[in-house]
Amino acid sequence: MNENQLQTYGEIAEDIREILFTPEEIQQRVSELGQAISRDYTGRNPLLVGVLKGVVFFMADLLRAMTIPVELDFIAISSYSPESRGRGVVRMVKDLEIPISGRDILFVEDVIDTGLTLNYILRNLKARQPSSLEVCVLFDKPERRLIDIPIRYKGFELPNRFVVGYGLDHREKYRNLPFVGLLKPGVFQSR
Amino acid sequence: MSLNNNNRPQFAHPSEEAFARILDYYGIEWQYEPRTFALEWDENHNVIEGFTPDFYLPQQDLYVELTMLRPELSTHKNRKLRRIRELYPEINIKLFKRRELHSLMVKYGLDLESERLENSSPQDDTH
Repeated sequence: MNENQLQTYGEIAEDIREILFTPEEIQQRVSELGQAISRDYTGRNPLLVGVLKGVVFFMADLLRAMTIPVELDFIAISSYSPESRGRGVVRMVKDLEIPISGRDILFVEDVIDTGLTLNYILRNLKARQPSSLEVCVLFDKPERRLIDIPIRYKGFELPNRFVVGYGLDHREKYRNLPFVGLLKPGVFQSR
Repeated sequence: MSLNNNNRPQFAHPSEEAFARILDYYGIEWQYEPRTFALEWDENHNVIEGFTPDFYLPQQDLYVELTMLRPELSTHKNRKLRRIRELYPEINIKLFKRRELHSLMVKYGLDLESERLENSSPQDDTH
């Protein structure tokens, strides 16, 4: 995609070097995932759980691509940062509102890279004894994986690069881009 | 392995310490340089070349080697990793490369560590 095409997305796209997945490609894949999940979970009333904030775009589109009754809940956890590292370990800053014991849980995630965060969340959810716990991820960065995570549904594989858009951020920016693109190098090298 | 005053290992490189802190934060158990793998022996069966991965993650049964080397200078380390996989096929080992480390630092907003890594000598590697 050339500069002119990127300009159609406005000021927010100025820092983008290249589009990796167009809005149409993303919607197509999300629709396929929604259909697959609907088939597999028919009659089970699954609870879809997401971790704020990046997943909200994917979650909203995935839910609308599904054709079975589902419930929805979110958690939020503290992420590692220079400020939080002195305070010890990761913690849940917003817990689920719906009990999950005995339920079929589908954990929905926008991106998995090292697996560190997801490993923590899955351990936490498993301890609450759901009937089943599966993972659906839209973007996977397998090259950066440290902790093995079993993924039941996967959208796309991403290269080990700085990508943003469709929920993926860099310092809280670019989440609202409708596509996924590579950031220009100067953007992530400087604050 | 020597320990400092806080009962933490004396890390050979600041990036290793930053990596250990991230593992701690997410509740991942780790050991620092717990085992050396012999790679070459002389005719008297003395070890003449070994390799000590930086971290072992017991819950994952995974060794992790961090490298600060730029890809074009990693030939020697890559050869050692190939050799370790040949000789010890039962172990899981992952090479966490300079670019991956840098991405991790940027992701967690560790500007100082990321800058330090970016400015570190490409040969500033301990193994």
